[in-house]
Amino acid sequence: MKKTPLLVILALLLILPLVVEDVNFQHVMLMMLIFAGLGEAWNIITGFAGQTSFGHAAFFGIGAYTSTVLFYKFNVSPWIGMILGALFAGIVAFLVSYPCFRLKGHYFAIATLAVAEIIKQLFVSWDYVEGATGISIPVVPDSFWAMQFHRSKIPYVLIAYGLFVFVLFVAVAIERNKMGYYLKAIRESHEAAEALGINTARYKLLAMIVSSMLTALFGTLYAQYILYIDPFMVFGLDVSMKIVLLTVLGGLGSVYGPIIGAAILIPLSEYTRTLLGGTGKGIDLMIYGILIVIVVVFEPRGILGLLRKRSRRRLNYGKSNA
Amino acid sequence: MRKLLAVLVVLLSFVVMAQEVIKIGAIFPLTGAAAATGVKIKYAVEVAQEIINGVYPEINLSLAKSAGLPNLNGAKVQFVFADHQGNPELAMAEAERLIRNEKVVALIGCYQSSCTKPASQIAEKYGIPFVAGSSSSAALTERGLKWFFRIAPHDGMETVFFFNYLRYLNEKYNANIKRVAVVYIDNEYGVHAALMVKEKIKDFPEFSLVADVKYPVSATNVDIEVQKIKAAKPDAIFHASYIGDMTMFVKKYKEFNVVPKVVLSYCGGYQDPQFVVNLGKDADYFAGTNATTPALFAKMPILSKINEMYKAKSGVDIDGPTLEDFASALVIAEAINIAGTTEPEKILEVLKTHTFEAPYFVSEKIKFGPDGQNIYSASVMTQIFNGVYEAVWPEQYQTHEPVPQFPDWKKR
Amino acid sequence: MSMLAQLVVTGVLVGSVYSLVAVGLTLVWGLMDIINFAHGDFMMISMYTVFWLYALLKWDPLVSLPIAAFVAGMIGLLTYKLVIKRVLNAPGLMALLATFGLSLFIRNLAQFLWSPNYRFVGESILSGKRLIISDVIVGLPQLVAALGSIGMTLAVALFIKKTKFGKAIQATAQSREIAELMGVDTEKVYMFTFALSGICVGVAGTLLSGIFPVYPESGAMYGLLAFVIVALGGFGNIWGAFYAGIMIGLAETIGGFYLGTQFKYAIAFLIYLLVLQFRPKGLFGW
Repeated sequence: MKKTPLLVILALLLILPLVVEDVNFQHVMLMMLIFAGLGEAWNIITGFAGQTSFGHAAFFGIGAYTSTVLFYKFNVSPWIGMILGALFAGIVAFLVSYPCFRLKGHYFAIATLAVAEIIKQLFVSWDYVEGATGISIPVVPDSFWAMQFHRSKIPYVLIAYGLFVFVLFVAVAIERNKMGYYLKAIRESHEAAEALGINTARYKLLAMIVSSMLTALFGTLYAQYILYIDPFMVFGLDVSMKIVLLTVLGGLGSVYGPIIGAAILIPLSEYTRTLLGGTGKGIDLMIYGILIVIVVVFEPRGILGLLRKRSRRRLNYGKSNA
Repeated sequence: MRKLLAVLVVLLSFVVMAQEVIKIGAIFPLTGAAAATGVKIKYAVEVAQEIINGVYPEINLSLAKSAGLPNLNGAKVQFVFADHQGNPELAMAEAERLIRNEKVVALIGCYQSSCTKPASQIAEKYGIPFVAGSSSSAALTERGLKWFFRIAPHDGMETVFFFNYLRYLNEKYNANIKRVAVVYIDNEYGVHAALMVKEKIKDFPEFSLVADVKYPVSATNVDIEVQKIKAAKPDAIFHASYIGDMTMFVKKYKEFNVVPKVVLSYCGGYQDPQFVVNLGKDADYFAGTNATTPALFAKMPILSKINEMYKAKSGVDIDGPTLEDFASALVIAEAINIAGTTEPEKILEVLKTHTFEAPYFVSEKIKFGPDGQNIYSASVMTQIFNGVYEAVWPEQYQTHEPVPQFPDWKKR
Repeated sequence: MSMLAQLVVTGVLVGSVYSLVAVGLTLVWGLMDIINFAHGDFMMISMYTVFWLYALLKWDPLVSLPIAAFVAGMIGLLTYKLVIKRVLNAPGLMALLATFGLSLFIRNLAQFLWSPNYRFVGESILSGKRLIISDVIVGLPQLVAALGSIGMTLAVALFIKKTKFGKAIQATAQSREIAELMGVDTEKVYMFTFALSGICVGVAGTLLSGIFPVYPESGAMYGLLAFVIVALGGFGNIWGAFYAGIMIGLAETIGGFYLGTQFKYAIAFLIYLLVLQFRPKGLFGW
């Protein structure tokens, strides 16, 4: 992979929100960075290793809840909460991986969905974390320690950018490392990978844990940005699907995919809503939905496929392993 | 020369000010599961905007008589609508966008309390008044926010109102109500209402809680919930449900022949006029708090006029939650008018001190307490008879006597 | 005891409607390996068809059943023609993305056209009627919905098994290439399978219209449960989907009643995870 385009994209992502002062634009950029990062994290288990997860909201929510509960109950800095949240997410990923990885293809995908829905219901019913009522994060004056910035969105954007670059770095490192080749071997053919002597169980588990931990990091940032969380917004199927859809739209299995997908879907949904959402007729979501259909129908290989003009083997997920 | 210039400047500024449009943000669920209510609220806020900007001498409201806000040289008010889809993230983002990009001077919204929380947090951050109409979670006014106000009685007040009503039925009609069940949806609205029941019932020792039935959001059926309720044999059922689930419950009550003495509903599904449309005579005898009811229109000419305008848009009579959000629109516009400026601190001062005329409510006025909660509860207990929401309590508003016993389902 | 009997009866009634929704989904999933996210929304459209025929022409839901089924079938057919056909050979999750967009479009089109109000088919031949068999109460609308679902599932299963066209579907599911070599018009097979899937969910929607509110999001939860049921039964397996639906219905009612009604769907998801530990390709998967 050539480095130049990636560096150009990274530079653009950093400069744009800093020079454009429009607060709505900054919000869109922030959401873009968060979801591009989530897409990168999800890509590790699904794009590289070929194990479709429909349940990444579980890890996102665990990240959000860990830091929030620690800050809300014990005044622990969200930065520490972020790290602990990632650890918890890793532990949960480890625990649920055992039953889930026995399943292949769509059976696995539905299992991850089931796990996420169960975890959501547990949080809804868990009084210690305020259950369905949700938690309003106590507002404190601007502080790096408390990860709260009220005067400007720029610090949030910078944190999101930092997390995104970190996740991207991990993803690129995995892709180039032997782990990346192993994961892709598993994706192409489970049996062949085993025949080559790859410990498939171990590498899938490793990929799942890394992916879930990275996902949890963004959960903390999201909670600190919105300053309110409830189980429906962080554990919802909507979150899981958004991650899946934007990565697929951009291009599965490539580090560019989530960036491109997020750069299209997030502004599209934000701007159609701000332009037409006030009509109360659902026109914005109609347009959003039909545009997705049109893009897919005319470019079924994803945007990346369009950019590359010819499809590459790496995009052919799902043909052999599903 | 200098004088002339000064006069010119003054005149010019008048012209500029007269053409000025004052924008107020209105964030509601216009798509998604709660869109049915959100869209109705939008109609009501549009009616409020027409009343403020137009001339309606027949409506006895201070802002109806002149076009625009008289103290700001007839400046027009424009409500800028935004859709949060029931998602707190979007409520927060829209609040910020409206304040920063649309330059709104105040916000109203957001129906669901879970969305009102983060959106009002943003208003607090920017020092902009936020007036919530129908969001009912008591937690909203317990946050100690400076810029937050709420018109509807919160679920804690509603709960006390419910128990007092039961007490009234026991005393006046010998209803002999003892066993209470609470049935609620498993989200912030339902769970918080149920929490209030468990808390307030301690002050009413003659009642005991015999069932606590929580059902999931977007339930496909409520069969087992109803069987649980039936097994507990409650005299009174408190419902915190939306229109879709509430309708399913009523159908199942009929099927399983559940015959309580009273069913009282928190602000939610029961108040939606669609409840009567969908259920016909099966909706009779259900009861709940409501800020208004068509039965009161005859007694309240201003409300009736407002309803006429609303009905022309929506096709249905105005209901409680919708009227509360209508009130939030009028109150904020009036506060700006009295302040005579869009300066936030001045508006805040008015909101904190002024008693607003609200002839469309039975309480007739709105005044916010130190926590931002409207101290005049506009609620009346309503009960449905022959498809009409009749006011049954307190007695001074009564349009029909309450019936503290469901008849057998077969004898309807 | 009578409580348990009541719960079992309710579970079977609830589950059999889940089954029919899932049967439609499993047909497409098994044949084309496509997850149709808009499946529940096809059901919503059929419910609106029933509602409008009732509201405007006073038709009973049972009378409008063929029309609602036809409408949903046509939407399935069009979906195939306009969307699915072009993404059949695309990477795995592209079709999911397309159907997700379609689902969003259909739901909001419904809101645009018919407002987001919750509606009900108030009066019908069945409404309000019930059977009481020693303590156990069975609502007639639900009973008819269950019987209709079972009948429809049976019809679909027979159609697949006995008719020539059904055999062509089976052959195509095994291998598209071989089926084509044998002279099967696989294009036609795909198209009609999608239509049949729509018809199944259209019938389910009609049967549900007496007991479930009609609104733009009506299909959402049914669609989600259908995913789990299809996987629990084994992809592409009609009777698998049928029994899995009943199983989920029973888990929901019995589990929900004794463990807490708020957990009823969580219990259904848990059942899936547990069963799949022993049958990793579903109850009837091969």
